[in-house]
Amino acid sequence: MKYFLALLAVLLLPWQLAVAADARLILPELRGLEDKADETVTITLDAAMIKLAAGFLDANKPEDAAARQVISGLTGIYVRSFTFDADFSYPLGEIEKVRKQLSAPGWQRLVEVRSRKEKSAVDVYLSVDRELANGLAIIATEPREFTIVNIIGAVDLQKLHQLEGKFGIPKLQLEAKTPQDKPAGR
Amino acid sequence: MSNDIDEQLRAALRRVDPEQGFAQRVLARIEVEQRQRRPRFATRLPAWLPTRARWLPVAVAASALLVAVLLNARQVRHERQGLEARQQLIDALRVAGEKLDLAYRAVNTESPPTASDDTAPGDTGA
Repeated sequence: MKYFLALLAVLLLPWQLAVAADARLILPELRGLEDKADETVTITLDAAMIKLAAGFLDANKPEDAAARQVISGLTGIYVRSFTFDADFSYPLGEIEKVRKQLSAPGWQRLVEVRSRKEKSAVDVYLSVDRELANGLAIIATEPREFTIVNIIGAVDLQKLHQLEGKFGIPKLQLEAKTPQDKPAGR
Repeated sequence: MSNDIDEQLRAALRRVDPEQGFAQRVLARIEVEQRQRRPRFATRLPAWLPTRARWLPVAVAASALLVAVLLNARQVRHERQGLEARQQLIDALRVAGEKLDLAYRAVNTESPPTASDDTAPGDTGA
């Protein structure tokens, strides 16, 4: 019986890993866009890199201390951000492919903002597994800019809230508008 | 008087043949002196060490120096990678925070905050 359970655990390992990796999005390969873009931010930090970075955070610096608070429990941070000098120089289809991944079970849309006037959109999604947040995704598009952020791990919005003022970010009104107050779409 | 001095000088400086074996003794002494001039590390080596292995300490020292240089280079590379990772982490959190702030500001300033007031869901306005 013991051996059977051990065998079962081994056989189920890939499935467990797949479930655990649910919050990881497949981000589009946008290498061709780098030449066209005015500004490019491509950040890929897996668990090892986050651990490495954490070792170089200075506890005496406010922004480093805040970052340390936020990253505890995170296993991946992926950012793709491109800025162009002309409107909609980027492939919208690639952004839609990422949006489609966020329609999978487990992802909940916290915020959806659309502005026809500014032709911009911001979506914030949270991946929830057994009532615990294990991932965050942000897709923000403007005519000349788009940003995709994928954070994997135990995302704590309160800790994110602690970032206010540390990186020049104004205070977030998380208390005033909780995710339950603003369920958009879905 | 002067003749006596001349005689004495002649007697003192007269040609004398070297003793038998003089040349061999000179050569032997030269060899001994050359041996004594060898570097200290070589003279302190154990006698059983073969002559070819006399460069062993130099090789060991060079290897130790090489290892030290490599370890230092590794440490420098690790530090550079760590600082780059830290900067990337700060940048990533900054971008995430900016976009979160954008969303929350939009939600808090619009009333009522219905998502699809302007456009249909998923419409980027493009």
